[in-house]
Amino acid sequence: MLRKSLDRKISRRKFLGTTAASGTALAAMGSGLSRVAFADNHTIKIGFLAPLTGPVSAWGKPGLDGCLIWADWVNAKGGVNIGGQSYSIEFVGYDNEYDAAKARTGATKLIKEDGVKFIMMLGGDTWPGVEKIAEREGMLFSTLLPSDLSPDSTTLVAPCEVHPIYNVTGVEWLAENKPDLKTAVMCAQDDALGKPSVATYLAAFEAAGIEMQDEPLFFDPTTTDFAPVMTKLLAGNPDILCLDTCYADYVHPLCEQAFQQGYKGQIISCTADFYQKIIEKTSVEFMEGFIFQFPDFDDPALNSEGVNFVNPNEFYAEYAKRYGASQWGAVSWEYASIMDLWADAASRAGSAEPAAVLEAMKAGGTGKHAFGTADWWGTELFGIDNALVGDWPVVVIEGGKATIKDFKSIPAWWDKHKDLMIKHMTALGQMWNQRG
Amino acid sequence: MQAAGTGGLVRRTAWRLRLVFLFAMLAALPYLLSYSQQEIAVLLVINVLLVCSYRLLTLTGEWSLGHVVIMGVGAYASALLAKQFGVPVPLSMLLGGCMAAATAALLSFPLFRMKGFYFLIGSFAAGEIIRLIWKRFTDPFGGPKGLKRIDPFPDIEASFLSVDFYEPVNYYFLALAVVSVSLFVLYRIERSRIGLTFHAIHWQDRLAESVGVDTFRYRTLAFVIASFFAGIAGGLYAHYVGAVNPTRFSVDQMVYVLVWAIVGGTATFHGPILGVVVLTVINEIVLRALGLDTARPLIYGAILILSVLYLPNGLESLGPRLQARWRRWRGGPAAAGREPA
Repeated sequence: MLRKSLDRKISRRKFLGTTAASGTALAAMGSGLSRVAFADNHTIKIGFLAPLTGPVSAWGKPGLDGCLIWADWVNAKGGVNIGGQSYSIEFVGYDNEYDAAKARTGATKLIKEDGVKFIMMLGGDTWPGVEKIAEREGMLFSTLLPSDLSPDSTTLVAPCEVHPIYNVTGVEWLAENKPDLKTAVMCAQDDALGKPSVATYLAAFEAAGIEMQDEPLFFDPTTTDFAPVMTKLLAGNPDILCLDTCYADYVHPLCEQAFQQGYKGQIISCTADFYQKIIEKTSVEFMEGFIFQFPDFDDPALNSEGVNFVNPNEFYAEYAKRYGASQWGAVSWEYASIMDLWADAASRAGSAEPAAVLEAMKAGGTGKHAFGTADWWGTELFGIDNALVGDWPVVVIEGGKATIKDFKSIPAWWDKHKDLMIKHMTALGQMWNQRG
Repeated sequence: MQAAGTGGLVRRTAWRLRLVFLFAMLAALPYLLSYSQQEIAVLLVINVLLVCSYRLLTLTGEWSLGHVVIMGVGAYASALLAKQFGVPVPLSMLLGGCMAAATAALLSFPLFRMKGFYFLIGSFAAGEIIRLIWKRFTDPFGGPKGLKRIDPFPDIEASFLSVDFYEPVNYYFLALAVVSVSLFVLYRIERSRIGLTFHAIHWQDRLAESVGVDTFRYRTLAFVIASFFAGIAGGLYAHYVGAVNPTRFSVDQMVYVLVWAIVGGTATFHGPILGVVVLTVINEIVLRALGLDTARPLIYGAILILSVLYLPNGLESLGPRLQARWRRWRGGPAAAGREPA
């Protein structure tokens, strides 16, 4: 009996020991692999810290895909010249799953283990987890969501997408071209991305003389059934249906519901990621005239003189070749355009060190934004001039294809209507000094 | 009698040795990990407390969908007390746990009018109400963006000792100490008369009532104790990450807790711990190290399906099964008959 009992203990101990040893081995394997990833001295690593899986991945994964094309092109031409030496660029991705804690883990890995010189993020819910690391390490970060900006975060810049301020350009164009549309309704997911966008659309509608039929409808991010949302929105037969900055996982079912419930009015949205799939679920006729803010880069309008994005049409063709045209989304080009800005600043600074690049990037108060020369701006709205703002395209779906209709100036709108913007941002608690 | 006494002594000694070995492993662990893996280890330790506290609730037979929200109550309360009222962080964490327990006590009145599936749905609804309150009231909860720049755990600065709790290795040991004490308390509760009553309510609630057990009060007690420790886990999380928001405590996160508990198994105290450790190591370390970041949900899902198919009683059943096989190998067909289902 005693012998059997001891046998059992030994085998249990062996089992526990084996489990622990396996865990240690796996952990060691993990750390070993991350160390192997260090490259030679002529490679600069750039961190890509964004959601690559989960409901927000549509604003992460296509961006990484675009960056890989950017790196291939730049490296094929010999890399980025910094201080008389050519450096190839390597991207190191980390899936933060749009979670602050995972973003913190990812940031520390990228900085301390991978040795990156710059980290691009989507921002939003994930930035607060990283803020302190950025401060401590002095690392240069970029965000697509400038509502992350505050005077405390001096090493964070929003050099491409000044979400949601550019949404005013779509409403302005709508009011100019379809002046008979006078009533609107709006819905958004109730989160950090939806609310500032709602404030922006409210300001833009008010500036354009468009009346809101009802208060904006906030739905929970876990919503999966959009039929009641759409039924409530369409109850007053509005002229304009505004989908705010809903994630792709919401825009698609919302459009589907609007189609099924017989809506025939105007739709305006910040994004229409993978819009071909929406057309497949609805119809070309239904989506005709859909206004949003993110062009396909095969658009000839992007070849105009003021556009700084390098070879946009070729970039789109390569993206479509590698990943499929239907995978093109709002962020496919954005992170790559930030890299254009970073490479230019690093070359001018003669250094890839974050502080030097940041200084060079902001030198003179202007920068080469993807859609033209723009100003470093934002003190009134974000408490710091770390957002690069200039012109932004207005895109309309025509015959099943996204088409740039105009480039409109965000600063020009701001100069005329900034009081409205500040009023609505304040009302929704979205000014930088009201947050958290 | 003497033989039984010797057997007990051997068992106790072996148990203590195993415990010493385990703590030695846990103490050495962060030094075997990379910096980012130390970060993962901190969150893992916090999640161990979360899932073990959840198990205590399940002892009474009730499965809640609001446990992560209760963790959030602790996180929000602790963060607000430290941020807005200047309460020292260690005390605010404790008060955060108390707030989570008080919330559970309040919720128990409507929730324990229900049982089984209805309790599950009721707990989900109660959790959503709490989350909506956080979203609706920007002051003081920060609205959808939540709270950020939450005070960190205070550093220790003495002539002979300097501990910076921003460093994951230091926070790991802090969390490990808090979680170890918490697990010890949870273990003792389960092994006490109260714990046996929880089990009785789970398996024979009518019979328990017939012998004078107030099932409502005992269910409430389990809910309150489990919530207190979930609140402590929330406080540990909030003061480490420095930010909380309503999405962090959504039902999506709750699904992870359920998965850890189910894959690990809830029949033993260590079952859920096995679940959270194994799944976190696979998901956060192994798959990432293999460069499978974007394929993780697919592989994670496959692992879950396989574990449910081949280990329906959880990872905790793996040990006894392996033991039975070992005995069969050693002792022939007679021993094989004792293999558990």
